[in-house]
This record gives sequence, structure tokens and C-alpha cells, in this order.
Amino acid sequence: MSGKKKNKKDNDIVAQPYTKTTFLTQIVMSVFALLFVAPLFIIINYSFKTKKELYLSSPLSLPQSLNFDNYIKAFQKLNMGTTFVNTLLYTAVSVVILAVLCGTTAWAIARGKQKFFKFCYIYFIIGILIPYQALFLPIYIIGFNLHLTNTQFGIIFMYVATGVSFGVFLMNSFMSTVPLELEESARIDGCSVFRTYFSIVLPLLKPAMATLIIMQAFQIWNDYLLASLYVSKKQLKTLTVAIQSLFSAQVSDYTTAMAAIVISVLPIAILFICLQKYFIKGMTVGAVKG
Amino acid sequence: MEKKMFRQYLVLVLPGFIIFTIGLIIPMFMAVRYSFTSWDGMTAEKPFVGIQNYLNLFKDADFRSAWWFTIKFTIGNTIIQNIAALLFAVALDSGIKAQKLYRTAFFIPCLISAVIVGFVWLKMFSNVLPELNGILGTDINFMLFGSGNTVLAGLLTANNWQWIGYWMLIYLAGLQSIPSDLYEAAKVDGAGAIKRFFNITIPMLAPSITICVVGITTGSLKVYDLLVSSTKGGPGRASTSIIYQTYTTAINGRQYGYGSAMSVTLVFVLFLVALVQVKGLKKKEVQA
Repeated sequence: MSGKKKNKKDNDIVAQPYTKTTFLTQIVMSVFALLFVAPLFIIINYSFKTKKELYLSSPLSLPQSLNFDNYIKAFQKLNMGTTFVNTLLYTAVSVVILAVLCGTTAWAIARGKQKFFKFCYIYFIIGILIPYQALFLPIYIIGFNLHLTNTQFGIIFMYVATGVSFGVFLMNSFMSTVPLELEESARIDGCSVFRTYFSIVLPLLKPAMATLIIMQAFQIWNDYLLASLYVSKKQLKTLTVAIQSLFSAQVSDYTTAMAAIVISVLPIAILFICLQKYFIKGMTVGAVKG
Repeated sequence: MEKKMFRQYLVLVLPGFIIFTIGLIIPMFMAVRYSFTSWDGMTAEKPFVGIQNYLNLFKDADFRSAWWFTIKFTIGNTIIQNIAALLFAVALDSGIKAQKLYRTAFFIPCLISAVIVGFVWLKMFSNVLPELNGILGTDINFMLFGSGNTVLAGLLTANNWQWIGYWMLIYLAGLQSIPSDLYEAAKVDGAGAIKRFFNITIPMLAPSITICVVGITTGSLKVYDLLVSSTKGGPGRASTSIIYQTYTTAINGRQYGYGSAMSVTLVFVLFLVALVQVKGLKKKEVQA
């Protein structure tokens, strides 16, 4: 989609007359939007309620005062100091590795003329169709045999391994935006393949990189299956896994659980609000992964 | 020169290639291998039993009911999510005010981990919504996770709440790339709104429809996280998905060989579904 075309379309929207139908649509969509946000308000509302209010007052009534006890309790129960840092570390390191790997791999595949690179392209594409969720059992066994389970290296390795095929596919589709002439003139000037990539190609791939990083960060942050399989040591646990154990433990007194939800969703929500533009672009491009 | 460059490109490809092979490709072959054994996951020997596991799968009522639930969940999601997402996208694109605000409202649930979504709806159904009966003076049964007959509806609600906004964005992006001259030309020719929708919007959206249908189906077939914190596969076995069933069989039931056979069927089905859908829908795209 070219920028010009988009502008034109934007102008068209402005020019569209605001008719009775538009007004009706607006009302219907407002109702739906309210229904969609209602559970979020209920979560936040509960997170400030005391245990007493939970049993005595109506679930829909507002808390009498803003008390942060649930947050403090959730903070302790989730072992936030550790789990938050772990999740952040796994997410950040995996995403950085993925960004570097997928960029270089996709570029080499696109530029290498030998048959091997054509084979690699198909090899990685097939990976998109293999759901790692369905293979959790051998993924656990291979990790166990290679001593990858219960290590930081191991979980990061798996996040990279399960994300790389999609990343290569995504980066590969952006390669056509890199002009060959630039690369060739760099090579004539005596740049090695590596220098050509890092000084010429990589800067041009920045938008694609942003997309890749956002997509993967979001997925790894929210991951449950791999984290629950690979990590059982307390000091290595992630936020999602800690939250799930909190859910099972706090079935009746769920005000703490609600505060825990707010704590865990907040970072990703803030990230979303700050990077909305990239986020939406990333989600749309990355949709193929499903 | 050519050889030197080949080597350098190779150096760039190999790390990703190796990690990918160890982390995903080898496990796939391991799953196939284990599926022909009666391994319990603990002992060193893995007795070879041929296709016995697969034969047992056909007779296994639990396995069949897990597939049946997964299929119902998948079909429900594919229909509801596609239609709702498309209608929402069209409504947002129709020139209503504050489009971005609506977009954010619908989109935010998909930022939340499925484990959390499951728990939120568990509480919504059991604690929050029944309260509405008191306020409205009605007697609606909101405890959808409580009975085998309604648990699917409950899970569909939770899953659609989470994902409609995401697919809506894809459709919205698709809608915004349709050249407006097409609509103007159709208007001049006297085509009404509904005719324009079916003759221009739908055909022009074919690529987005492919993405959404494939994404929703394959995503739903893999459902697991959502169940962990909400229904735990219950009540009874009413909401046990195929991955959930594999997990209980292999990890809790210590039947790694048999569980692997289940995994293989799922990989096979997912592969097939994706392939058939991409092929079939692509064909429609060309015709359009």
C-alpha cells in the first residue's frame, strides 16, 4: 500500500457524509465497544476491593476506597521481583537474537545463488506450518536430553527455535525493498558480506525489524506452554506461569488474582499505547502466523 | 570469489538453520518415532509396537471426544470471528467518528495472555454476570462453564472476546487498500450498498479472508492455554481439546508413546488444513 493511495483514502473518509446510517452504526458500535471493555473495567474494579467487599457488596459496585493491598499481596505471591525480571530477560534476549538471526538468514537466503539457499527457504517455510504446540512432548524430551530444561539458555533457545521460521519468512518478504545496486557498489568497494549486511542492508530493514520485534516480544511475553514445560525451578519461572499457579491457589479470594492480572497486562498495554502504529502494522503483516 | 561468498552466506544461514533444526524439525521426527513405541517416558528402553498406538487411537473414546470438541470449537470460532471481525471492520471504515478509539477498545483483549483470558471469563460467568439477574430481575443461566452443554458457548465467548479485534484489524487494513474509484464507479452504475459489499468488498478482500480463515482455524485447533485456567477440560471431559488430552495422556498418564501418536495426528491435520485452505482460498482469489 503506497502512502499516496492511503492519503487519498483518508481524504475520502473525511469527505464521506455523516448520514443517518452512519449515526446508527456509531451507536451500535459504541454498544459493542462497551461490551468489549466491560471485563477490563471489572478486573480493575475487583483489584481494588477488599476481601470483605468481595463477599458483601455487589460485584458491579465500585470499591469504597482505592486500596493497594491486593497489589502488594499479588506482588509478593507472584514473586514479582524474580518472575518479572525473568520474563523481561527471556523476552528481550530472545527477541534480540531473533532480530539478528532472522535478518541475516533471510538476507543470505535471498542473495545466495546456490541451490542450498533455495532449499533453506522451503525448509523454513515448512516450519511455519509445523505447530510447536502440538510437538510439546518431544520438545520437552529433546530439551531434557540436551540439559536445556531449567536453564535460562534453554528457554531462550526454544523461543528462538520456534520463532525463527516465521521471522525468516517475514524478513524475506521485505528483502525486495533493499536495492541490489547499493549492495553491489559496496562489494566493489571491497566490503565483506558481513559488512555489507550490517552497514547497508540492516539500516534499510529497520521497519521490518520493528515489526518482527513487536510481534515476537508480545508472543513470548504471553507464552505459557513452553515456559511451563521448560522451567520448574522457582527462581527461573515466568510471570504467566506464576499467574497460573496463583489462579489455582486463589480461587475464592480472587481480588489478588485480579491485581496480578493488572500488573502483568500493564507493561504490554503501555508498550502498545506507545508503539501503536508499529504494533498494528506488525500485527497485520504478521497475521500469516495465526 | 563465488566460493568465498558462498561460505560467507553459509555462515549467516547456519546458526538459524541449526537452532531451527534442533528445536523444531528433530522433535517432529522424534514424535513420529515415539509414536511407534510404548515408551512410558521414564525407562531407557522404548519397546517398538508398530502401528498399535494408532490402532488404539481409533478405539479410544476419550481421543474421539477430544477431537470432536476441538472441531466444534474450531468451526464455531471460524464462523463467528470471521463474520464479526469483517462486520466490525466495515462499520469502522464507514466514516464513523473516533475510529481509532473503537479500534483500541476491540483490540486490547488480544494483548492479554490466553491463560488470563480464561480466568477472567471463569470469574465473569461464575461471579459477575449472575449478579445481573438480580439487577434486571431475570433468570438467565450465566454459569456457562458449569455444564457440558454450555461450556463450548462459554469458551467461544472468551476466545472471540480475545481475538475479534485482531482479525478486525486485518480486515480493516484490507478495506483501506481497496481503491475508492471502484465504489464510485459502482455507485454511478446504480449498485446499492449490499450489492457493492458482495460484488466489490468481498472479492477485493479475498487475500485478507485467506489470512483470517487460515489463522483462526489453525489457532483454534491448537487451543490449550485458554483451558488451563478456565475449565481444565471439564466439566467431565466436555472441553478437553486435543492438546489438552495429549498433555494428560503423556505427562500425567505416563504414556509418552501413545501421547506422541496423538501429537502426530494433530500435526498431520494442521498441516493438511493449512495446505487445503491456502490452496482452495488462493484459487478463489485468482478467480476474483
